[in-house]
Amino acid sequence: MSIAWWEFGPRTPDSWTEAELIEIRSLSLQRLPELPADPSNGVADDPRAASLGHKLFFDARLSANGAVSCATCHKPEQRFTDGLAKGRGIALSQRNTRSIVGTAYSPWQYWDGRKDSQWSQALSPLEDPAEHGSNRLELARLLATDVSLKTEYEAIFGPLPNFTDTMRFPDSASPIGSEELGTAWESMIDSDRGVVNTAFANLGKAIAAYERMLQPGPTRFDNYVAEIEQGLDSSSLSDEEIIGLQLFVSDARCTECHNGPLFTNNEFHNTGVLSFPGDHPDRGRIDGLKKLLADPFNCKGQYSNDPLHQCDELTYVRTGIELIGATQTPSLRNLGGTAPYSHKGQHATLAEVIDLYNRAPLAMIGHNEVEEKLGLSRRERKQLEAFLITLDAPIAADPKWLKAPE
Amino acid sequence: MRSSTFILSLLLITASAITPAEENDSERWQTRSGYYWVSFTSDLEPLEINRIHRWVFHIEDESGAVIDNAEISLLGGMPEHNHGLPTIPHMTESLGNGDYSVEGMRFHMNGYWELTVTVDVSGRRDTVVIPLTIS
Repeated sequence: MSIAWWEFGPRTPDSWTEAELIEIRSLSLQRLPELPADPSNGVADDPRAASLGHKLFFDARLSANGAVSCATCHKPEQRFTDGLAKGRGIALSQRNTRSIVGTAYSPWQYWDGRKDSQWSQALSPLEDPAEHGSNRLELARLLATDVSLKTEYEAIFGPLPNFTDTMRFPDSASPIGSEELGTAWESMIDSDRGVVNTAFANLGKAIAAYERMLQPGPTRFDNYVAEIEQGLDSSSLSDEEIIGLQLFVSDARCTECHNGPLFTNNEFHNTGVLSFPGDHPDRGRIDGLKKLLADPFNCKGQYSNDPLHQCDELTYVRTGIELIGATQTPSLRNLGGTAPYSHKGQHATLAEVIDLYNRAPLAMIGHNEVEEKLGLSRRERKQLEAFLITLDAPIAADPKWLKAPE
Repeated sequence: MRSSTFILSLLLITASAITPAEENDSERWQTRSGYYWVSFTSDLEPLEINRIHRWVFHIEDESGAVIDNAEISLLGGMPEHNHGLPTIPHMTESLGNGDYSVEGMRFHMNGYWELTVTVDVSGRRDTVVIPLTIS
C-alpha cells in the first residue's frame, strides 16, 4: 500500500532497504548464469549448426508459398517479434509472436509451454497451415535437392537419405495436418517415417543452435545496478524510473513472477487477461501440457540426443487446476519494443497491462491469481511504466546473426 | 523510512507478537505424532529460485536411529500467495543410512514457503510442516 502524497521526492541509492537491494541485484543481467546446455540437442553448441540454422531461419523456401521464413514473424529489427496482436504467416495464426531472445533459458516454449526445447518448437510453425504451411517431406526434399544445404547438413549430421526416391518418399506427407498428408504419411514404411522425422528434427536442432546466439543486452537498469553496487551515484535511471523500480520490487508485486535476470520465472500463471475479441478464453497450459506429454519430439522422445533422457523438468512437471487459463510469464526485457502484449496481443500498451493488475478482475476461465487490486495511483502506474521501458537494449549477439546471411 | 513502514511498525508494537517458525536447513523437525525426525540438505546451496534440483532427506525414528525403508512424499506452497510448488517432486531412491533422494525440487518465487513432508514406514505414517524462506 502506498500513499503517494506522503512520499517526499525521489529515492536515492542510499535509501534502498537491504531487502530491496537483494531483489534489485537478482534482476541484473550480470546475474544471468551461463547458457544452459541442451542435452536433447546434440548440435546445440556446434558453430556449423548455428550457421546452417541461420540460413534456414531466413529461408522463405521453408514454406508452402515460398514467402514465409521464420524471420517473417521473428523480425530481427523488431526484437525478433512482429508488432502484431497475432502472428501472420500464410494466414492469421492463433497467438502473439514471442520474441526468441533469451528463450534458451526457458524449459518451455510457447505461451502454453507445449514444447520443451527450442529445437522442437522450431518444427511446429513449419507444418502449421497458418504459418509456413509446409510439411516434413517437402522440407526433407528441399534439403536433398539444394546442393549447398545438403553439403552443410551432411557435414554436421552425416549422409542424408535419398529423399528424391518417390517410391519410398511421397511429395508431401505428415502425421499432422490434412487427411491427405496423413494418408501419404501412412503409406510410408515405419523405418522411412523415422528417417524423415530424424532429418526434420535435425532441421530444428540447427535452427535452435542459431537461436542460442540471441541473448538480451545490458540496459540502463543493468548499468544502474552496476553503479550502485560500486557505491557510485548513478544517473543511469531518472528519478521517476527509480520510483518505478521501487514499485516493481515492492508494492506492484511484479517480482513474484517476473523475477531473475530475465524477469521471468518461466512458469504459467492466470492473471485474468480477457479473451481476444471473438475468441473463446484461452485454456493455456492445461491444454499445452497434454500436447507436450504427447509430443514425439519432446525430451523423452527418440529424437532427443540425450541417451540418459535427463529430463527433469518433464519428469516432474506439474498439472493442476490453477493451470486452466494460465500462460507463461514473458520476459520483460525488450518490453518497449515488443508491443502488443499478452498471449493474443490483447493489450496494445504497457499501461493497459499494468491497469489489468491494478484492477484484478475475475478471470473469464480458471482463477485469477492476482486476488487483490494493487491500488496503485495513476502517477505510480506511470512511474512503473517508465521503469519498464528502461529494460530495452540492443540484442547481445554478433551483428551477423541479426540479419539474413550473405 | 517509508511512511507505510512507519504505520506498520506502530501497528506491530500494539498488536500481539506472532512468533515466526524457526528456519534452518541443518535443523531437524519432528513429525506431528512424534514418530520421526526429518532433516534435509539441498544440492543447490544456497537455495535460489528457477533452478530444478535435488534434495536429500534424512529420516530417523523417535530414538534417533536411522530408518532405511521409508516412503517420503512432499507437497509445498506459499500460504501468503495461495499457490503450490511449480513441480511435482518425488522420492527417487533410498540411499542408505536413512538418506533419501527427492528430485524435481524447484521454487519459482522468493519468500516464505511451507513444505508438508509425509513419512510412511510400512504404513506407519506421520507428517511435518517445514518452514522455508528463500531470498
